[in-house]
Amino acid sequence: MSHESQLKNVLVQGKFSVTAECGPPKGADPEVILKKAQLLKGMVDAVNVTDNQTAIVRMSSLAACALLKTAGLDPVLQMVVRDRNRISLQSDILGASALGIRNVLCLSGDHQIFGNQPQALGVFDLDSIQFVQVVKGMRDDGVITGGDSLDHKPDMFIGAAANPFADPLGFRIVRLAKKIKAGADFIQTQCIYNLNRFETWLSMAADKGLTEKTYILGGVTPLKSAGMAKYMKNKVAGMDIPDDVIKRMEGVPKDKQREEGINICVETISRLKELKGVSGVHIMAIEWEEAVGEIVKRAGLYPRPALDRA
Amino acid sequence: MINTKRRKLALFYCQNVPESREKDRQALEEACGDVISLFPMPCSGRVEPVHLLRALEEFADAAYVIACPTGACRNFEGDLRARKRIERTRSIIEAIGLERERVGLLVCSKDNPKPLAVLAREIMDKVSALGPSPALGPEALDDEEKGI
Amino acid sequence: MITGEQKPVEEIRKMIAPYKRILVLGCGSCVAECASGGEKETAMLASALRMAARMNAEDVVIEEMTLDRQCVMEFVIQLDKAIDPYDAVLSLGCGAGVQAVADMYPEVPIIPGLNTEFLGETKAQGVWAETCLGCGDCMLYDFGGICPLARCSKQILNGPCGGSVDGKCEVNPDIPCAWQLIIDRLDKFGALDRLEEIYPPKDWSTKQGGGPRKIIREDQQK
Repeated sequence: MSHESQLKNVLVQGKFSVTAECGPPKGADPEVILKKAQLLKGMVDAVNVTDNQTAIVRMSSLAACALLKTAGLDPVLQMVVRDRNRISLQSDILGASALGIRNVLCLSGDHQIFGNQPQALGVFDLDSIQFVQVVKGMRDDGVITGGDSLDHKPDMFIGAAANPFADPLGFRIVRLAKKIKAGADFIQTQCIYNLNRFETWLSMAADKGLTEKTYILGGVTPLKSAGMAKYMKNKVAGMDIPDDVIKRMEGVPKDKQREEGINICVETISRLKELKGVSGVHIMAIEWEEAVGEIVKRAGLYPRPALDRA
Repeated sequence: MINTKRRKLALFYCQNVPESREKDRQALEEACGDVISLFPMPCSGRVEPVHLLRALEEFADAAYVIACPTGACRNFEGDLRARKRIERTRSIIEAIGLERERVGLLVCSKDNPKPLAVLAREIMDKVSALGPSPALGPEALDDEEKGI
Repeated sequence: MITGEQKPVEEIRKMIAPYKRILVLGCGSCVAECASGGEKETAMLASALRMAARMNAEDVVIEEMTLDRQCVMEFVIQLDKAIDPYDAVLSLGCGAGVQAVADMYPEVPIIPGLNTEFLGETKAQGVWAETCLGCGDCMLYDFGGICPLARCSKQILNGPCGGSVDGKCEVNPDIPCAWQLIIDRLDKFGALDRLEEIYPPKDWSTKQGGGPRKIIREDQQK
């Protein structure tokens, strides 16, 4: 089994990379993950595993990543700072590295009020940017917070998330710069439907030299229906879905809407491939992992580069 | 302020209500003082929930406030303050199982001003239907109400 | 100041049910400012409780008294002269007040009538907002006088998160995004570049590190 980051290999070679997302089950059955692994194998360079997304209790991302490794995939361990303090965050980094997991995405996490545990205590000991910096310190200097040395450094390709569509727009670039300064090797963005606005953000980032310092993967999510598009537009914070995308989804009969969602997704990826400063695409097909293969093939991104053996 | 004799209504009114000055009050008291207890106020905005609650607790089946028309208050917001405090008092009594309607506010009409005596009668008609207040307990019922 | 709100009256009635002679004890400080436990509110609650008792044919004496402060021993001790007739005290002080009274009179059940909430300010008449966590290591200067720990729902020191929309927090649109406020404030000071530095992890030991905290000042002691 390779213990290298395939994601890193592809990006460093200057190729357009593809990652996808995999949500762990609300239960203890490993087969759920392994089935999803089979749908994604060969279609992507790495697979993100979400960490109790929307503050709903699911199988731990660390365990699910370990299962993906047994299936021969390169997992991206998503870690939120909502649920764990710096002791367990750093401990999990060491554990993940020991299990051969080579990619981590450092996130804030959705507030606990949104999930099925609104009575839980939110920890928020570190924020996501401090967490990136801490992982970098562990990887490069072999130290943890407080300065104690590790007897074996973890090996991690460090990622952070960026939302080109949240407020305030001007400050988003400052925040992106901070994440990169803290040590983010790669950035995955919130899903893109408004390409103009994304390009504005990208050029502001390029102006500051940020696109040279990190690998940016543009996020995409195929829409399943016009209803889903409207829901995301109105109910999900930090999302920008232009009206003409909604109209396009509404313009086709219900049984053709999935296909149209995939069409829009493939077109978005084609635009992303042309943009200087975008190094890859992150496909978040929520509970629709079967669509990933089709999207990757139609976007001309299949086959993926071969897995380099360590 | 606490009066031990039981009344059907405790009436707190702004002294700027028409025909509510000293001699009018005395006349009104003579006419129905055993049923209504009158409390002149410098402004309806000076009535506090505790005044209304103590009235209900000690002697009154109902406690009402009369305020000047909206915009006419000499202190600008008397009726607005009164409105909010009456609502607060209503929530408090509702929470202990007492009818909200035992507390209320009457805002005078700008176009059709009525004297205190008329307003008092209007309120009495409204609250009579509520009957004796359970907050005063069974001992407070007079012989007629007890059915003796 | 410390804020709190009165517990629902059904909850209070359940707690005082076993007792026959109850003193409702108000506090003239913080809880008077936030209109939940001051002299006025104490009188209101006592009256309502007496009416409720009468309506339910309960044989109970409920009286009231208000101290200037319930959290200072020298004020609490005034109860020495007054507490004997009662078999329980319903305190409308904050949690600190309830406990100070309970410490002084350990044989008397002191029942909390309020849910103590937060350290905050009176933003406008009838509006109180949480602004301080009591972290023990104040960083307000760095953030232009707006605390990202108390006012950001995720306690982010390098904000904002991706859920800030139109200057509002994703948790509740009534909550202003603290980071939007910080950015706007520092912008006014011309100090936005301060936010380009990565703010290091918080030292929480000044809040939690030594267990429940205590301040001792020898120059103030007898």
